[in-house]
Amino acid sequence: MKNRSASIDRLLRSAAAAPAEPIPAMPFGFDTRVLAQWRATWPNDPATVIRLLRRVMFLALALIVLASAGAYRELHQGDEPFGNEYAIADSAIGGVMDQ
Amino acid sequence: MHEESDAGALVPAVLQHDEAASRELVRRLHPLVAKLVRSHRPRRAAEEDLCQMIFIKIFQKLPQFSGKVPLEHWVSRVAINTCLNQIQSEKVRPELRYADLSEEEAAVVQNLAATPDELAPGLSLASRDLVEHLLAALKPRERLVIDLFYLQELSMAEIQERTGWNVPLVKVRAFRARQKMREQLARITARGTR
Repeated sequence: MKNRSASIDRLLRSAAAAPAEPIPAMPFGFDTRVLAQWRATWPNDPATVIRLLRRVMFLALALIVLASAGAYRELHQGDEPFGNEYAIADSAIGGVMDQ
Repeated sequence: MHEESDAGALVPAVLQHDEAASRELVRRLHPLVAKLVRSHRPRRAAEEDLCQMIFIKIFQKLPQFSGKVPLEHWVSRVAINTCLNQIQSEKVRPELRYADLSEEEAAVVQNLAATPDELAPGLSLASRDLVEHLLAALKPRERLVIDLFYLQELSMAEIQERTGWNVPLVKVRAFRARQKMREQLARITARGTR
């Protein structure tokens, strides 16, 4: 019994003395895969929603500024009001078609 | 090692979903996680898949990290528990037969039976393989305690820190696991020396 017990201890001591296996380097793209999977688990994350809303708001603001600049330029261009013959003709034709 | 100990400083940025900090955290913790997976992985799981699973758990649970212990200890615990759960899902724990041993492992068994002396240093790798075979027949928690206590030669306090088990529990599990291994080794030795 004692001999058997000693055998397992000797075996464990010998196994503990074995050189450690080298740790593999991080595979290429591993961090990207981990982060992508992590992001996939954020459905109700308020920070993401806020970031998205902020982006939409900036985009909308930029469009409003561009549209306003365009309208202002249109209003103050040339001598004629609305200065665009095409727009006047289009409006007139549109009126005839409606009747 | 110095890099690993700085990993905790990245946590606030990672919690703010800072991509660069998150990548850096993965890079710094990968050696630790890979080492733990190598020691505790289930037989059928691929190392890389298990590492990936552990990292996702780490990121998901990171808001729960209190900062009272070093990040590496907390990560070790998450990694070990994930490995244990994976091992538990592998129900079959085959018993090792003498015929399953490699030539080198059989030599270790013969040597243990023939002499009470310590095994030659040249047999250490075969010993490690034989121990891994014997461990495969144990329950996951028994396997873990043998690995931490006998193979990695950690102290009781270190095992307690990594597993969350109290010292008497570690001792009881180590004793039972060692007894099972001893009985299994005796059976194999008896068959091999017949």
